[in-house]
Amino acid sequence: MNDVAKEIASIKALQATLQARLDADQEVLQQLAKRLWAQQESEKAKLSRELHDGIGQLLTGLTRRLQALSSSSPEIEALHGIAEMALNDVRQLSRLMSPTILDDLGLKPALNWLCRNLLSGEDIEYHTDISLPSELAKDISILLFRIAQESLVNAIKHSEATNLTLTVSHHHNVIRLDIIDNGVGFDSKTIEPGIGLSSIRDRAKAFNATLEIESAAGQGTRTTVTVPV
Amino acid sequence: MTIRVVLADDHVLMRQGVSQMLNATPSITVVGECDDGVELIAAVLKLSPDVILMDISMPRMSGLVAIDKILAQRSDAKILVLSMHNEVEYIEAMRDAGAKGYILKESSGDKLVDAIKKVAANKTCFPDELTQSSNEQCQKHISPLSVLTRREREVFFLVAAGNTSKKIAELLDMSLKTAENHRSNIYKKLNLSSSAELIRVAGKAGLLE
Repeated sequence: MNDVAKEIASIKALQATLQARLDADQEVLQQLAKRLWAQQESEKAKLSRELHDGIGQLLTGLTRRLQALSSSSPEIEALHGIAEMALNDVRQLSRLMSPTILDDLGLKPALNWLCRNLLSGEDIEYHTDISLPSELAKDISILLFRIAQESLVNAIKHSEATNLTLTVSHHHNVIRLDIIDNGVGFDSKTIEPGIGLSSIRDRAKAFNATLEIESAAGQGTRTTVTVPV
Repeated sequence: MTIRVVLADDHVLMRQGVSQMLNATPSITVVGECDDGVELIAAVLKLSPDVILMDISMPRMSGLVAIDKILAQRSDAKILVLSMHNEVEYIEAMRDAGAKGYILKESSGDKLVDAIKKVAANKTCFPDELTQSSNEQCQKHISPLSVLTRREREVFFLVAAGNTSKKIAELLDMSLKTAENHRSNIYKKLNLSSSAELIRVAGKAGLLE
């Protein structure tokens, strides 16, 4: 009897050791995943600066010169218009690629800016209600911003929604982001997630965040993220 | 009288250009130039400029944090933000943080000089088109705290929470007379006659917990 008890005890001890090793490995993997995401962000930031300072400056020069000449002919005035559009596109691309507003002002203004930039050109009415803790780690801000960005882009591309709500709330040590639209929805069983969605799922996992997407045909879509801070 | 300006921008060429232009203006002189928010705070404390002209995106300490720290030390500091960002979110955030003005880097030199003069004269100066294009939410943001100094805001919230002047003086470690002065300044600025009215205004603006 005593031997059996001893054996059980030693098996339990072994199990505990294995569990601890597994936890440690998982922790290492998670840190690695976080570093990969951070690296991707810094690559994007570099590219964004190149776009802004390189092509952006050239287009600024071009636009100014065409503007100076534009009174001379309607043709040049039209060219000025095209150059200006190109300049605005490059600026917007650069800003979406690496949202400096997130560093400058924080997540709340950044999310408002994101909604305004992506949605105001569409036929989607939107409403935001954002409440955040006063201090928020930068990687968590980026995570939430990127998830919101992906969800909004999906809503614009696929949902045919006319109304969208983005809310952020926080309770104890959890932040929750909800994005709800009234669009056509989709059947989550039949639709394979695309690259964008898979990528934000992976990203959420690296921060122990949960990402739920609830939808059904004709029922709109709700994306909910909860992240511990 | 000459307006003394401290200028902060991490882009050296930009800063030098602005500085030269301002120094060529008879009524303005640049008394200090800084690379980042940390230097700026030190310069403001040392030089007590009439106007602080500063960028938002700077290394070491962002403009938003710098504004907060400056106003914590010098609640009457007159800050004019010089920025490349023409987005309404930036302007709202700077106004809410307590800046007196906001001007775009693409503006002409004359406009910049005008803005500095306005801010030096204790007026506010924000881009028209942006204040107009910003929605009702923005309107809600401006009132009523934007007209108050930092210290007055603290007093505002304490009055809204039902504290007497005596209690406020105790909490903020000031004399009763100072507390009463702040209170009467708040009433004057917001056109109020009683604490009940103040609480009503605070509630309307969504400032009550």
